Amino acid sequence: MIDGISGVGPSNVQKLQQDKTLRKAPDFAEILKEAFDKVNQVQKNAEQMASDFALGKISNIHEVIIEAEKATIALRLTTEVRNRIVEAYREIMRMQL
Amino acid sequence: MSEFTIFNVSASGMTAQRLRLDVIASNIANSETTRTERGGPYRRRVPIFAEHLLDKSRTSAVKVVRIEEDPSPFRLVYDPSHPDADENGYVSYPNVNVLREMVDLINAQRSYEANVSAFNVTKSMINSALQIGRG
Repeated sequence: MIDGISGVGPSNVQKLQQDKTLRKAPDFAEILKEAFDKVNQVQKNAEQMASDFALGKISNIHEVIIEAEKATIALRLTTEVRNRIVEAYREIMRMQL
Repeated sequence: MSEFTIFNVSASGMTAQRLRLDVIASNIANSETTRTERGGPYRRRVPIFAEHLLDKSRTSAVKVVRIEEDPSPFRLVYDPSHPDADENGYVSYPNVNVLREMVDLINAQRSYEANVSAFNVTKSMINSALQIGRG
């Protein structure tokens, strides 16, 4: 899910086509869980970097900041996707039957 | 994580420039050093950068392969009173030109800033992508 952000090169298009033909669509809950796991991992990395820096194991400040930025972006991306999907779900629930 | 490749590229650029800065600082600090552990005056050091291809992508980062020594000759200064002077009264000073090191220093700083700019542009592009459909 997060992979969507990397440029729409030919490789990505190919991947999409493969996904369509070969694999059945995975459960939404599965996708979301996977994305959250990824984000969690990135957050943990950032935390680890920050503590390593505090302990003097890292001398390059930018590494810590970049790791923190990665964590922020990953979290924003995931919440954004979640928001959109929840909105779509609500739209369906509001439908008059 | 593949989606952060470009960040890693910028990070590698920053790391390389930081290391270059360290080397320049060492050159400046030792610009008058006449004694080293190996004997003789200090030799100017130069970091060697190499392309570092990243897996599964067409982008490549930079890495420092090694730090080499400048083979150019030492600066000879006539000073017979110096303890390290040779039999003709000449002292070999390191082949470090402080002026040149200062130029390299600014170069390293600007390169670092350029990498930071690349990082920031990437980040703002991602943030704009997240704003699609919000307007």
